[in-house]
Amino acid sequence: MSFLRDFWRIARSDWTALIGAVVVLLYVVIAVIGPYITQASTAADPSRAYLTPSLSHPLGTDSFGQGVLSEIIVGTRPIMEVGVLAALITVFVGVVVGLVSGYLGGTADNVIMRITDVFLTIPGLPIVLIISSVVRSANPVVLALILSVAAWPGLARAVRSQALSLRTSDFIEAARLQGASLSNIVTRQLLPNVGPYVAIHFLLAITGAIYAEVGLFLLGIAPVSGTNWGAMINSAMNQGALYTTKSMLYLFSPMAAIVILQVAFVYFTRILDSLFNPRLRVQ
Amino acid sequence: MLRYVAKRLVMAFAIIYFVVSLSFFMIRLMPGSPMAALEGKLMQQGGMSPQEIRQRVEAVYGVTPNAPVWHQYVEYIRNAFHGNLGTSIANPGESVVHVIASAAPWTIFIVGTSLVISFILGIAIGALMAAFQNSAFSKVMTFVVSFLSAIPNYLVAIVLLYFLTDIYHYFPISGAYAVDVTPGFNAPFIASAIDHAILPITAFVITSFGAWALGMKGTAVSVLGAEYVRAAETRGLSPKRVAQSYVGRNSMLPQVTGLALSLGFLFGGSVFIEFYFSYPGLGYHLIEAINSRDYSVMMGCFLLITTAVIVANFLVDLLYPAIDPRIARPALRRQVAEPDEPVAVGGVQV
Repeated sequence: MSFLRDFWRIARSDWTALIGAVVVLLYVVIAVIGPYITQASTAADPSRAYLTPSLSHPLGTDSFGQGVLSEIIVGTRPIMEVGVLAALITVFVGVVVGLVSGYLGGTADNVIMRITDVFLTIPGLPIVLIISSVVRSANPVVLALILSVAAWPGLARAVRSQALSLRTSDFIEAARLQGASLSNIVTRQLLPNVGPYVAIHFLLAITGAIYAEVGLFLLGIAPVSGTNWGAMINSAMNQGALYTTKSMLYLFSPMAAIVILQVAFVYFTRILDSLFNPRLRVQ
Repeated sequence: MLRYVAKRLVMAFAIIYFVVSLSFFMIRLMPGSPMAALEGKLMQQGGMSPQEIRQRVEAVYGVTPNAPVWHQYVEYIRNAFHGNLGTSIANPGESVVHVIASAAPWTIFIVGTSLVISFILGIAIGALMAAFQNSAFSKVMTFVVSFLSAIPNYLVAIVLLYFLTDIYHYFPISGAYAVDVTPGFNAPFIASAIDHAILPITAFVITSFGAWALGMKGTAVSVLGAEYVRAAETRGLSPKRVAQSYVGRNSMLPQVTGLALSLGFLFGGSVFIEFYFSYPGLGYHLIEAINSRDYSVMMGCFLLITTAVIVANFLVDLLYPAIDPRIARPALRRQVAEPDEPVAVGGVQV
């Protein structure tokens, strides 16, 4: 309970972070209930293209005559779904590799870290682009797996350096003397100590995954099933949205949806940051 | 120092080797692999004997299709290290090396310039934010900077493109230089090249200087509270000396480490930026190759992007001991705590 009380106390004193948390929550709610409150159809009705905002279409209509707001609401779920899945995979792989490597030390650590370094050096986005161009799958799980290929090494390195310093601490020594298994030491002793760092990285991993995911849809490389923000911008640009001011809402609404979410995530992590680092609060 | 350099070199070659192997794997062993697909396509078109088809595939990918896989692998690796990456599928006759050699300078130009500008700008703003911690300037800047660094770079590119080239025609819409200038060391060409590079560089800088500023502010604030800084002040050293040698230098260390890590992100981001500004660099060709399923050009671009990151990383590694002598002398290193891994705020490593 004291955790929640701390959370609220910090959130109240840092209003930008509080807004960030509220906005993230709002997006989650929209992602869950979105498809139940409105529908986006792919039918084209050119007579209703580029309508100005009205009560039935608060953000106007796109070049096919569909309501832009409806499309954005429906498009929230696929983006969030893949983002969260990719972040879960990233965090799982990063934490396991980092903890095991840091705890084992010696040759095993050396080998694991050299492999991690290779993945860390290879530029992430190009490899994601190339893999998804070969795989071409619209399955969210496959997409999430591809997106996390390049994201785990950074976390693994950071977790490892924390595990290295925890390794020599008394409670680990005690657990080892009691004959605790590797999995027990990793999950029950080490994990809770890197938890806060991992929680923050989880949120940042979501923003990273969304960045790459929207990028893939924007470039038209990931196959699209249904509506999402990246595909919306892509089709807006293919419909010549860049050359006319009529389509400004159609082009800029999904962009705003992405920017607001990304910024909210970053501010949200600030609460967790000061929650877990009491030293930051004093400053 | 020699051992340090040798270790980095071995690592660099290991990564290049890994990427070349990966590209072989992608081309040859993937289910429905590009190589099998090309063979099938040529077979369907008809009019070519199996012998001719094999020669064509061999020319494109640089491996003999029906040799044993390990044999193909050895051949592919040997060719790659001899600088033979096959020919383009979309434009037969054009070698992959030619495509990437003409594209690379442009990418290195805009990525390098953006990196230098955003690093210097970010460090300066971060240092000011740390020096005047509780001022309105610092608060406003923290807000602005975290906002900007959370925006995906391709969205900034699209917005710039929309307002500054399509609606108001302030900047050229595509290419690296105008058609009416002759490439070479002459004023019109240089002016045209800069004119074409301004928007891509702006898109980069807007989205990346913030991470440096936040990182610099964070470390500078913690260094300001360190005991050796207080000791230096008590000893009566001039504020300028304390700021430069004690606070400045120690706050820079994590930023230089971050430099190496951010390179991959920058080169990755250039894929989007080059694509939207139709800027003929490696990223642009990579996307074009992906869209036309030109796998040999695709892997060539990827190989060169990776190599550029490795070379730049290597340079940063060489630079590092000059700033932090403890790195090159492991005997001293044991006494200092392992430096914290920099956490990218907003500019997440992808």
